[in-house]
Amino acid sequence: MLSKRNITVLALLTALGLVALWLLSVPRGLTLADLPQHQPDVANGEILYHAAGCWSCHKPGTDLKDVDPNLPAGGFPLKTPVGTFYPPNLTPDPATGLGTWSDLDFVNAVQRGVSPAGANLIPAFPYTSYAHMRVEDVLDIKAYLATLPAIDSPARSAEIPFPALLRRGVGLWKWIGLDTTPWEPDPVQSASWNRGSYLVNGPGHCAECHTPRNVFMALDTSQALAGGPHPEGEGRVPSLRGLIERGRYKDAKDIASALQFGEMLGYDKLSSGGMGQVQRNIAKLPEADIQAIGEYLASLK
Amino acid sequence: MLGFRALKTVTAAALLLGAGVVSASADATSSIQARQACMKANGAVMAVAVPIVKGEKPFDKAALDAAFAKEKEACAGWADWWGDDTKPGGATETWAKEEVWTDKAGFEAAGAAYGKAATAVAAAADEASFKAAFPALGASCQGCHEKFRRPKG
Repeated sequence: MLSKRNITVLALLTALGLVALWLLSVPRGLTLADLPQHQPDVANGEILYHAAGCWSCHKPGTDLKDVDPNLPAGGFPLKTPVGTFYPPNLTPDPATGLGTWSDLDFVNAVQRGVSPAGANLIPAFPYTSYAHMRVEDVLDIKAYLATLPAIDSPARSAEIPFPALLRRGVGLWKWIGLDTTPWEPDPVQSASWNRGSYLVNGPGHCAECHTPRNVFMALDTSQALAGGPHPEGEGRVPSLRGLIERGRYKDAKDIASALQFGEMLGYDKLSSGGMGQVQRNIAKLPEADIQAIGEYLASLK
Repeated sequence: MLGFRALKTVTAAALLLGAGVVSASADATSSIQARQACMKANGAVMAVAVPIVKGEKPFDKAALDAAFAKEKEACAGWADWWGDDTKPGGATETWAKEEVWTDKAGFEAAGAAYGKAATAVAAAADEASFKAAFPALGASCQGCHEKFRRPKG
Protein backbone atom coordinates (compact mmCIF):
# COMPACT_ATOMS: atom_id res chain seq x y z
CA MET A 1 0.00 0.00 0.00
CA LEU A 2 1.07 3.58 -0.58
CA SER A 3 2.34 5.45 2.44
CA LYS A 4 1.52 9.11 2.98
CA ARG A 5 5.09 9.95 2.02
CA ASN A 6 4.85 8.02 -1.24
CA ILE A 7 1.61 9.77 -2.14
CA THR A 8 3.26 13.15 -1.55
CA VAL A 9 6.21 12.19 -3.78
CA LEU A 10 3.85 10.90 -6.47
CA ALA A 11 1.77 14.08 -6.37
CA LEU A 12 4.91 16.21 -6.62
CA LEU A 13 6.22 14.20 -9.56
CA THR A 14 2.86 14.46 -11.35
CA ALA A 15 2.78 18.21 -10.78
CA LEU A 16 6.34 18.49 -12.05
CA GLY A 17 5.44 16.43 -15.12
CA LEU A 18 2.44 18.62 -15.87
CA VAL A 19 4.54 21.77 -15.56
CA ALA A 20 7.12 20.23 -17.90
CA LEU A 21 4.40 19.31 -20.43
CA TRP A 22 2.97 22.84 -20.17
CA LEU A 23 6.37 24.40 -20.78
CA LEU A 24 7.21 22.01 -23.61
CA SER A 25 3.92 22.77 -25.35
CA VAL A 26 4.35 26.56 -25.24
CA PRO A 27 4.14 27.90 -28.81
CA ARG A 28 7.56 29.01 -30.03
CA GLY A 29 7.83 31.62 -32.74
CA LEU A 30 10.45 33.77 -34.38
CA THR A 31 11.31 37.28 -33.19
CA LEU A 32 11.73 40.53 -35.11
CA ALA A 33 15.49 39.95 -35.14
CA ASP A 34 14.91 36.83 -37.30
CA LEU A 35 13.32 38.86 -40.12
CA PRO A 36 15.63 40.05 -42.92
CA GLN A 37 15.56 43.55 -44.40
CA HIS A 38 13.49 42.92 -47.49
CA GLN A 39 11.85 44.91 -50.26
CA PRO A 40 8.76 42.82 -51.10
CA ASP A 41 8.37 41.55 -54.67
CA VAL A 42 4.65 41.19 -55.41
CA ALA A 43 5.18 39.30 -58.70
CA ASN A 44 7.34 36.71 -56.94
CA GLY A 45 4.73 36.56 -54.18
CA GLU A 46 2.04 35.67 -56.70
CA ILE A 47 4.14 32.80 -58.07
CA LEU A 48 4.86 31.47 -54.58
CA TYR A 49 1.19 31.87 -53.62
CA HIS A 50 0.28 29.48 -56.43
CA ALA A 51 3.21 27.15 -55.73
CA ALA A 52 2.11 26.96 -52.09
CA GLY A 53 -1.46 26.14 -53.15
CA CYS A 54 -2.90 28.65 -50.64
CA TRP A 55 -6.22 29.01 -52.47
CA SER A 56 -7.03 25.30 -52.40
CA CYS A 57 -7.70 25.36 -48.66
CA HIS A 58 -8.52 29.05 -48.21
CA LYS A 59 -11.11 29.26 -51.01
CA PRO A 60 -14.38 31.03 -50.21
CA GLY A 61 -17.10 29.20 -48.33
CA THR A 62 -20.30 28.43 -50.21
CA ASP A 63 -22.11 31.07 -48.10
CA LEU A 64 -19.99 33.85 -49.72
CA LYS A 65 -22.17 33.98 -52.82
CA ASP A 66 -21.12 37.33 -54.29
CA VAL A 67 -17.40 36.82 -53.70
CA ASP A 68 -15.02 36.10 -56.61
CA PRO A 69 -14.43 32.34 -56.15
CA ASN A 70 -10.76 32.81 -57.06
CA LEU A 71 -10.06 34.87 -53.94
CA PRO A 72 -8.66 33.20 -50.79
CA ALA A 73 -11.52 34.55 -48.66
CA GLY A 74 -11.67 31.42 -46.50
CA GLY A 75 -14.56 29.50 -45.03
CA PHE A 76 -14.67 26.41 -47.20
CA PRO A 77 -14.79 23.29 -45.01
CA LEU A 78 -11.57 21.27 -44.75
CA LYS A 79 -12.19 17.77 -43.43
CA THR A 80 -9.32 16.21 -41.47
CA PRO A 81 -8.97 13.16 -39.21
CA VAL A 82 -9.41 15.38 -36.10
CA GLY A 83 -12.46 17.28 -37.35
CA THR A 84 -13.62 19.93 -39.80
CA PHE A 85 -11.74 23.22 -40.11
CA TYR A 86 -12.73 26.38 -41.93
CA PRO A 87 -9.42 27.88 -43.10
CA PRO A 88 -9.43 31.64 -42.49
CA ASN A 89 -9.68 34.68 -44.75
CA LEU A 90 -6.35 35.63 -46.38
CA THR A 91 -7.63 38.84 -48.03
CA PRO A 92 -6.53 42.17 -46.48
CA ASP A 93 -9.82 42.91 -44.68
CA PRO A 94 -8.75 44.51 -41.36
CA ALA A 95 -11.54 42.97 -39.26
CA THR A 96 -11.77 39.44 -40.64
CA GLY A 97 -8.66 38.99 -42.81
CA LEU A 98 -4.93 39.68 -42.63
CA GLY A 99 -5.28 43.48 -42.80
CA THR A 100 -3.76 44.15 -39.39
CA TRP A 101 -1.20 41.35 -39.40
CA SER A 102 2.47 42.35 -39.09
CA ASP A 103 5.19 40.67 -41.15
CA LEU A 104 6.22 38.78 -38.02
CA ASP A 105 2.65 37.59 -37.41
CA PHE A 106 2.52 36.22 -40.95
CA VAL A 107 5.93 34.53 -40.90
CA ASN A 108 5.21 32.94 -37.52
CA ALA A 109 1.90 31.54 -38.73
CA VAL A 110 3.27 30.27 -42.05
CA GLN A 111 6.66 28.97 -40.89
CA ARG A 112 6.20 28.10 -37.20
CA GLY A 113 2.48 27.37 -36.89
CA VAL A 114 1.93 30.06 -34.25
CA SER A 115 -1.05 32.44 -34.47
CA PRO A 116 -0.72 36.19 -33.72
CA ALA A 117 -2.49 35.47 -30.42
CA GLY A 118 0.23 32.93 -29.61
CA ALA A 119 -1.72 29.70 -30.09
CA ASN A 120 -0.42 26.61 -31.85
CA LEU A 121 -1.99 26.13 -35.29
CA ILE A 122 -3.16 22.66 -36.29
CA PRO A 123 -0.72 21.17 -38.84
CA ALA A 124 -3.47 20.57 -41.42
CA PHE A 125 -1.97 23.97 -42.31
CA PRO A 126 1.30 22.69 -43.82
CA TYR A 127 3.70 25.02 -41.97
CA THR A 128 5.84 21.92 -41.49
CA SER A 129 6.82 22.30 -45.18
CA TYR A 130 6.59 26.10 -45.38
CA ALA A 131 9.15 26.18 -42.51
CA HIS A 132 11.79 25.26 -45.12
CA MET A 133 10.99 28.28 -47.32
CA ARG A 134 13.08 31.42 -47.68
CA VAL A 135 11.62 34.04 -45.35
CA GLU A 136 11.82 36.55 -48.23
CA ASP A 137 9.47 34.39 -50.30
CA VAL A 138 7.00 34.23 -47.40
CA LEU A 139 7.09 38.02 -47.08
CA ASP A 140 6.50 38.30 -50.84
CA ILE A 141 3.37 36.13 -50.51
CA LYS A 142 2.15 38.50 -47.80
CA ALA A 143 2.80 41.47 -50.09
CA TYR A 144 0.85 39.77 -52.89
CA LEU A 145 -2.09 38.98 -50.59
CA ALA A 146 -2.18 42.66 -49.59
CA THR A 147 -2.92 43.57 -53.23
CA LEU A 148 -6.14 41.49 -53.30
CA PRO A 149 -9.58 43.01 -52.71
CA ALA A 150 -10.56 42.94 -49.03
CA ILE A 151 -13.45 40.56 -48.38
CA ASP A 152 -15.55 40.52 -45.22
CA SER A 153 -15.46 36.84 -44.27
CA PRO A 154 -15.67 36.26 -40.51
CA ALA A 155 -13.87 33.28 -38.94
CA ARG A 156 -15.95 30.15 -38.47
CA SER A 157 -15.32 27.88 -35.49
CA ALA A 158 -13.60 24.60 -36.20
CA GLU A 159 -15.59 21.48 -35.41
CA ILE A 160 -12.97 19.68 -33.35
CA PRO A 161 -13.05 18.03 -29.92
CA PHE A 162 -11.19 19.78 -27.05
CA PRO A 163 -9.64 22.54 -29.22
CA ALA A 164 -7.59 24.11 -26.39
CA LEU A 165 -6.10 20.77 -25.33
CA LEU A 166 -5.50 19.81 -28.98
CA ARG A 167 -3.54 23.03 -29.56
CA ARG A 168 -1.34 22.37 -26.51
CA GLY A 169 -0.87 18.82 -27.81
CA VAL A 170 0.32 20.27 -31.13
CA GLY A 171 2.93 22.20 -29.12
CA LEU A 172 4.33 18.88 -27.86
CA TRP A 173 4.04 17.31 -31.30
CA LYS A 174 6.10 20.12 -32.84
CA TRP A 175 9.17 18.84 -30.97
CA ILE A 176 9.19 15.83 -33.29
CA GLY A 177 6.93 16.92 -36.15
CA LEU A 178 8.27 20.38 -37.00
CA ASP A 179 11.68 20.54 -38.68
CA THR A 180 12.61 24.19 -39.22
CA THR A 181 15.81 23.54 -41.21
CA PRO A 182 15.88 25.98 -44.16
CA TRP A 183 15.98 24.38 -47.59
CA GLU A 184 19.55 24.12 -48.94
CA PRO A 185 20.58 23.86 -52.61
CA ASP A 186 22.62 20.88 -53.78
CA PRO A 187 25.72 22.44 -55.43
CA VAL A 188 26.26 19.35 -57.59
CA GLN A 189 22.89 19.81 -59.31
CA SER A 190 21.73 22.32 -61.92
CA ALA A 191 20.03 25.59 -61.05
CA SER A 192 16.71 24.33 -62.41
CA TRP A 193 16.96 21.04 -60.47
CA ASN A 194 17.50 23.10 -57.32
CA ARG A 195 14.56 25.34 -58.19
CA GLY A 196 12.42 22.22 -58.56
CA SER A 197 13.70 20.82 -55.27
CA TYR A 198 12.86 24.08 -53.50
CA LEU A 199 9.36 24.28 -54.99
CA VAL A 200 8.59 20.62 -54.17
CA ASN A 201 10.02 20.56 -50.63
CA GLY A 202 9.19 24.09 -49.51
CA PRO A 203 6.10 25.91 -50.83
CA GLY A 204 4.74 22.95 -52.83
CA HIS A 205 4.50 20.89 -49.60
CA CYS A 206 4.26 17.69 -51.67
CA ALA A 207 5.63 15.67 -48.73
CA GLU A 208 2.53 16.38 -46.64
CA CYS A 209 0.64 13.79 -48.69
CA HIS A 210 3.33 11.94 -50.67
CA THR A 211 5.60 11.09 -47.70
CA PRO A 212 4.23 8.49 -45.28
CA ARG A 213 3.97 9.33 -41.57
CA ASN A 214 5.40 7.43 -38.60
CA VAL A 215 3.57 6.47 -35.40
CA PHE A 216 3.92 10.05 -34.13
CA MET A 217 2.19 11.40 -37.28
CA ALA A 218 5.49 13.05 -38.22
CA LEU A 219 6.79 12.73 -41.79
CA ASP A 220 8.97 9.63 -42.17
CA THR A 221 11.88 11.31 -43.97
CA SER A 222 13.58 7.95 -44.59
CA GLN A 223 10.75 7.37 -47.08
CA ALA A 224 10.60 10.89 -48.49
CA LEU A 225 7.98 11.20 -51.27
CA ALA A 226 7.61 7.39 -51.41
CA GLY A 227 3.79 7.47 -51.22
CA GLY A 228 1.46 6.18 -48.54
CA PRO A 229 -2.11 6.09 -47.31
CA HIS A 230 -4.24 9.06 -48.34
CA PRO A 231 -4.59 11.52 -45.43
CA GLU A 232 -8.33 11.88 -46.10
CA GLY A 233 -8.76 8.14 -46.50
CA GLU A 234 -9.29 8.18 -50.25
CA GLY A 235 -7.17 5.23 -51.27
CA ARG A 236 -3.41 5.56 -51.71
CA VAL A 237 -1.16 8.48 -52.55
CA PRO A 238 1.34 7.45 -55.23
CA SER A 239 5.09 7.47 -54.78
CA LEU A 240 6.96 10.25 -56.57
CA ARG A 241 10.08 8.09 -56.73
CA GLY A 242 10.97 6.25 -59.90
CA LEU A 243 8.22 7.90 -61.95
CA ILE A 244 10.24 7.25 -65.13
CA GLU A 245 11.57 3.81 -64.14
CA ARG A 246 8.06 2.61 -63.27
CA GLY A 247 6.79 3.80 -66.63
CA ARG A 248 4.42 6.42 -65.20
CA TYR A 249 5.98 9.12 -67.38
CA LYS A 250 8.43 9.14 -70.29
CA ASP A 251 10.83 11.79 -68.99
CA ALA A 252 11.14 15.06 -67.07
CA LYS A 253 9.36 16.94 -69.86
CA ASP A 254 6.48 14.48 -69.75
CA ILE A 255 6.06 15.02 -65.97
CA ALA A 256 6.11 18.78 -66.50
CA SER A 257 3.54 18.46 -69.28
CA ALA A 258 1.29 16.39 -66.98
CA LEU A 259 1.54 19.06 -64.24
CA GLN A 260 0.94 21.88 -66.71
CA PHE A 261 -2.01 20.42 -68.61
CA GLY A 262 -3.47 17.52 -66.58
CA GLU A 263 -6.35 15.86 -68.37
CA MET A 264 -6.45 18.63 -70.99
CA LEU A 265 -3.76 16.45 -72.55
CA GLY A 266 -5.12 13.14 -71.28
CA TYR A 267 -2.90 12.77 -68.20
CA ASP A 268 -5.53 11.01 -66.12
CA LYS A 269 -3.50 10.11 -63.03
CA LEU A 270 -3.35 13.49 -61.32
CA SER A 271 -7.01 14.29 -60.84
CA SER A 272 -8.01 12.14 -57.88
CA GLY A 273 -7.52 12.62 -54.16
CA GLY A 274 -7.16 16.40 -54.32
CA MET A 275 -4.36 16.36 -56.93
CA GLY A 276 -6.62 18.04 -59.51
CA GLN A 277 -6.53 21.25 -57.49
CA VAL A 278 -2.77 20.94 -57.01
CA GLN A 279 -2.34 20.54 -60.77
CA ARG A 280 -4.43 23.63 -61.51
CA ASN A 281 -2.30 25.64 -59.05
CA ILE A 282 0.95 24.41 -60.59
CA ALA A 283 -0.38 25.23 -64.07
CA LYS A 284 -0.32 28.91 -63.01
CA LEU A 285 3.48 28.87 -62.46
CA PRO A 286 5.93 30.11 -65.10
CA GLU A 287 6.74 27.30 -67.52
CA ALA A 288 10.41 27.25 -66.41
CA ASP A 289 9.28 26.48 -62.84
CA ILE A 290 7.05 23.63 -64.00
CA GLN A 291 9.95 22.21 -66.05
CA ALA A 292 12.17 22.54 -62.94
CA ILE A 293 9.69 20.50 -60.88
CA GLY A 294 9.67 17.88 -63.64
CA GLU A 295 13.47 17.76 -63.69
CA TYR A 296 13.67 17.33 -59.92
CA LEU A 297 10.93 14.69 -59.70
CA ALA A 298 12.40 12.70 -62.60
CA SER A 299 15.67 12.45 -60.65
CA LEU A 300 14.08 10.80 -57.58
CA LYS A 301 14.93 7.10 -57.60
CA MET B 1 -36.51 -34.28 -36.55
CA LEU B 2 -36.61 -33.28 -40.15
CA GLY B 3 -38.13 -35.75 -42.55
CA PHE B 4 -36.36 -36.70 -45.77
CA ARG B 5 -38.71 -34.47 -47.80
CA ALA B 6 -38.10 -31.47 -45.56
CA LEU B 7 -34.37 -32.06 -45.73
CA LYS B 8 -34.54 -32.15 -49.52
CA THR B 9 -36.49 -28.87 -49.57
CA VAL B 10 -34.04 -27.19 -47.23
CA THR B 11 -31.09 -28.40 -49.27
CA ALA B 12 -32.66 -27.22 -52.49
CA ALA B 13 -33.44 -23.84 -50.94
CA ALA B 14 -29.88 -23.52 -49.66
CA LEU B 15 -28.51 -24.40 -53.08
CA LEU B 16 -30.77 -21.88 -54.72
CA LEU B 17 -29.81 -19.24 -52.21
CA GLY B 18 -26.14 -20.02 -52.73
CA ALA B 19 -26.57 -19.81 -56.48
CA GLY B 20 -28.38 -16.52 -56.01
CA VAL B 21 -25.51 -15.08 -53.96
CA VAL B 22 -22.96 -16.33 -56.47
CA SER B 23 -24.86 -14.88 -59.41
CA ALA B 24 -25.34 -11.54 -57.63
CA SER B 25 -21.60 -11.16 -56.97
CA ALA B 26 -20.83 -12.34 -60.50
CA ASP B 27 -23.15 -9.59 -61.69
CA ALA B 28 -21.35 -7.02 -59.57
CA THR B 29 -18.01 -8.24 -60.86
CA SER B 30 -19.08 -8.09 -64.48
CA SER B 31 -20.50 -4.59 -63.96
CA ILE B 32 -17.21 -3.39 -62.47
CA GLN B 33 -15.25 -5.08 -65.26
CA ALA B 34 -17.51 -3.48 -67.87
CA ARG B 35 -16.92 -0.04 -66.29
CA GLN B 36 -13.20 -0.60 -66.38
CA ALA B 37 -13.30 -1.81 -70.01
CA CYS B 38 -15.22 1.36 -70.94
CA MET B 39 -12.58 3.49 -69.21
CA LYS B 40 -9.85 1.60 -71.09
CA ALA B 41 -11.64 2.40 -74.34
CA ASN B 42 -11.75 6.07 -73.29
CA GLY B 43 -8.01 5.81 -72.69
CA ALA B 44 -7.58 4.39 -76.18
CA VAL B 45 -9.37 7.44 -77.62
CA MET B 46 -6.96 9.64 -75.67
CA ALA B 47 -3.99 7.68 -77.00
CA VAL B 48 -5.06 8.60 -80.54
CA ALA B 49 -6.25 12.14 -79.76
CA VAL B 50 -3.51 13.55 -77.51
CA PRO B 51 -0.58 13.25 -79.97
CA ILE B 52 -2.75 15.15 -82.48
CA VAL B 53 -3.54 17.87 -79.93
CA LYS B 54 0.17 18.12 -79.05
CA GLY B 55 1.04 18.41 -82.73
CA GLU B 56 3.15 15.24 -82.64
CA LYS B 57 0.93 13.47 -85.19
CA PRO B 58 -1.20 14.71 -88.10
CA PHE B 59 -4.98 14.92 -87.74
CA ASP B 60 -6.27 11.41 -88.56
CA LYS B 61 -10.06 11.35 -88.83
CA ALA B 62 -10.19 7.61 -89.61
CA ALA B 63 -8.15 6.62 -86.55
CA LEU B 64 -10.26 8.89 -84.32
CA ASP B 65 -13.51 7.48 -85.75
CA ALA B 66 -12.31 3.93 -85.11
CA ALA B 67 -11.33 4.70 -81.51
CA PHE B 68 -14.63 6.47 -80.83
CA ALA B 69 -16.60 3.56 -82.36
CA LYS B 70 -14.86 1.09 -80.04
CA GLU B 71 -15.47 3.39 -77.09
CA LYS B 72 -19.18 3.62 -77.94
CA GLU B 73 -19.41 -0.15 -78.05
CA ALA B 74 -17.46 -0.68 -74.82
CA CYS B 75 -19.50 1.90 -72.92
CA ALA B 76 -23.01 0.92 -74.10
CA GLY B 77 -24.89 0.01 -70.91
CA TRP B 78 -22.88 2.43 -68.71
CA ALA B 79 -25.96 3.56 -66.77
CA ASP B 80 -26.76 -0.03 -65.72
CA TRP B 81 -23.36 -0.79 -64.18
CA TRP B 82 -23.72 1.12 -60.91
CA GLY B 83 -25.86 -1.20 -58.79
CA ASP B 84 -25.58 -0.93 -55.00
CA ASP B 85 -23.60 -4.20 -54.96
CA THR B 86 -20.83 -2.54 -56.98
CA LYS B 87 -19.87 0.00 -54.31
CA PRO B 88 -16.33 0.13 -52.94
CA GLY B 89 -15.55 -2.45 -50.28
CA GLY B 90 -17.15 -5.37 -52.14
CA ALA B 91 -15.50 -8.56 -53.36
CA THR B 92 -14.24 -6.94 -56.58
CA GLU B 93 -11.95 -3.96 -56.16
CA THR B 94 -13.23 -0.71 -57.60
CA TRP B 95 -11.72 2.78 -57.57
CA ALA B 96 -15.13 4.39 -57.66
CA LYS B 97 -15.86 6.53 -54.61
CA GLU B 98 -18.94 6.36 -52.38
CA GLU B 99 -19.90 9.74 -53.84
CA VAL B 100 -21.08 7.97 -57.02
CA TRP B 101 -23.98 6.67 -54.92
CA THR B 102 -24.36 9.52 -52.42
CA ASP B 103 -24.32 12.25 -55.13
CA LYS B 104 -26.17 10.52 -57.95
CA ALA B 105 -27.23 13.82 -59.57
CA GLY B 106 -23.63 15.07 -59.59
CA PHE B 107 -22.37 11.82 -61.04
CA GLU B 108 -24.98 11.83 -63.79
CA ALA B 109 -24.21 15.49 -64.59
CA ALA B 110 -20.49 14.64 -64.87
CA GLY B 111 -21.35 11.76 -67.22
CA ALA B 112 -23.57 14.05 -69.31
CA ALA B 113 -20.78 16.64 -69.54
CA TYR B 114 -18.44 13.95 -70.83
CA GLY B 115 -21.03 12.71 -73.35
CA LYS B 116 -21.57 16.21 -74.72
CA ALA B 117 -17.83 16.98 -74.97
CA ALA B 118 -17.03 13.59 -76.54
CA THR B 119 -19.79 14.03 -79.14
CA ALA B 120 -18.36 17.42 -80.11
CA VAL B 121 -14.82 16.03 -80.45
CA ALA B 122 -16.01 12.99 -82.41
CA ALA B 123 -17.95 15.24 -84.78
CA ALA B 124 -14.99 17.53 -85.50
CA ALA B 125 -14.25 17.23 -89.22
CA ASP B 126 -10.93 19.07 -89.32
CA GLU B 127 -7.89 19.71 -87.17
CA ALA B 128 -8.88 23.24 -86.08
CA SER B 129 -12.34 22.31 -84.82
CA PHE B 130 -10.92 19.13 -83.24
CA LYS B 131 -8.31 21.10 -81.29
CA ALA B 132 -10.91 23.67 -80.27
CA ALA B 133 -13.28 21.00 -78.95
CA PHE B 134 -10.70 18.88 -77.13
CA PRO B 135 -10.05 20.91 -73.93
CA ALA B 136 -13.70 20.55 -72.86
CA LEU B 137 -13.34 16.79 -73.18
CA GLY B 138 -10.24 16.75 -70.97
CA ALA B 139 -11.96 18.99 -68.45
CA SER B 140 -14.95 16.64 -68.31
CA CYS B 141 -12.65 13.66 -67.59
CA GLN B 142 -10.92 15.62 -64.82
CA GLY B 143 -14.20 16.92 -63.39
CA CYS B 144 -15.47 13.39 -62.90
CA HIS B 145 -12.18 11.84 -61.72
CA GLU B 146 -11.69 14.55 -59.10
CA LYS B 147 -15.00 13.89 -57.40
CA PHE B 148 -15.75 10.25 -58.06
CA ARG B 149 -12.49 8.28 -58.32
CA ARG B 150 -10.02 7.36 -55.57
CA PRO B 151 -6.26 7.58 -56.21
CA LYS B 152 -4.73 4.17 -56.94
CA GLY B 153 -1.27 4.78 -55.48
